[in-house]
Amino acid sequence: MDTSLAIQEPFDLIRLSLSERVFVKLRGDRELTGVLHAYDGHMNLILSDVEETIMIIDQHEGTTGEQHTIAKRKMDMLFVRGDGVILVSPPSR
Amino acid sequence: MDESPPPPQPSETSPPPPPPQASTGSPTDFLKGVVGKRVVVRLTSGVDYKGILSCLDGYMNIALEQTEEHVNGTVTNRYGDAFIRGNNVLYISAAEPV
Amino acid sequence: MASQVLPLELIDRCIGSRIWVIMKTDREFTGTLLGFDDFVNMVLEDVTEYENTPEGRKKTQLHQTLLNGNNICMLIPGSNGPDS
Repeated sequence: MDTSLAIQEPFDLIRLSLSERVFVKLRGDRELTGVLHAYDGHMNLILSDVEETIMIIDQHEGTTGEQHTIAKRKMDMLFVRGDGVILVSPPSR
Repeated sequence: MDESPPPPQPSETSPPPPPPQASTGSPTDFLKGVVGKRVVVRLTSGVDYKGILSCLDGYMNIALEQTEEHVNGTVTNRYGDAFIRGNNVLYISAAEPV
Repeated sequence: MASQVLPLELIDRCIGSRIWVIMKTDREFTGTLLGFDDFVNMVLEDVTEYENTPEGRKKTQLHQTLLNGNNICMLIPGSNGPDS
């Protein structure tokens, strides 16, 4: 099925992703994957079965290298406030 | 030297000539021209998204297809489809001449 | 009565000319102004983007570009930017 025909406005992309696992990029180097249950015009989201990935960049004085620490955690059910959302990507079809 | 005949004067009944350009260069006209084309979307954070512009709305929320995420010139992610929340957008640039 | 030119009328007179756009952040643009709207979102052509970083100034050439008005700080009509 060609979903591009069904998309007239950006929110259609989100509507077509309801009940699917989506990838969400948030401000503050946070990323989520979870099943999308609900959204609104602010891009407030309800996700379930969520895994959060946080990139922590440690910069040490006097060294050129950056150390990336990746922290992960799981949540059963999550509300995401829309103003923190940068990008939402549905599963590849 | 040949004198070419003068151009016919427009009569009162003839329709007015069409405007020289269909587009006036407004943001809306620009966006009509780039939907379906390759674009670069740069966020205020400096991250670039390169892909085909599916559509957008009045908040500059954007749907992109075949998207590559570029950070400092290297590809860091690929998305089949991507929704970008408009408040993060710095600019939308045509990836090839319009 | 004092004659008054609205700020956006001045920008309207710049359509077709070069313009220098300074953002709220360390970022500047120059280009030919093709149009703008009530939010001062701007369409520019033959654009150069300047990023001022501690390591120096980075230049990027762009084709036709819609610049989000939200982050614009100042506009300098008729100028070709920091290089001129």
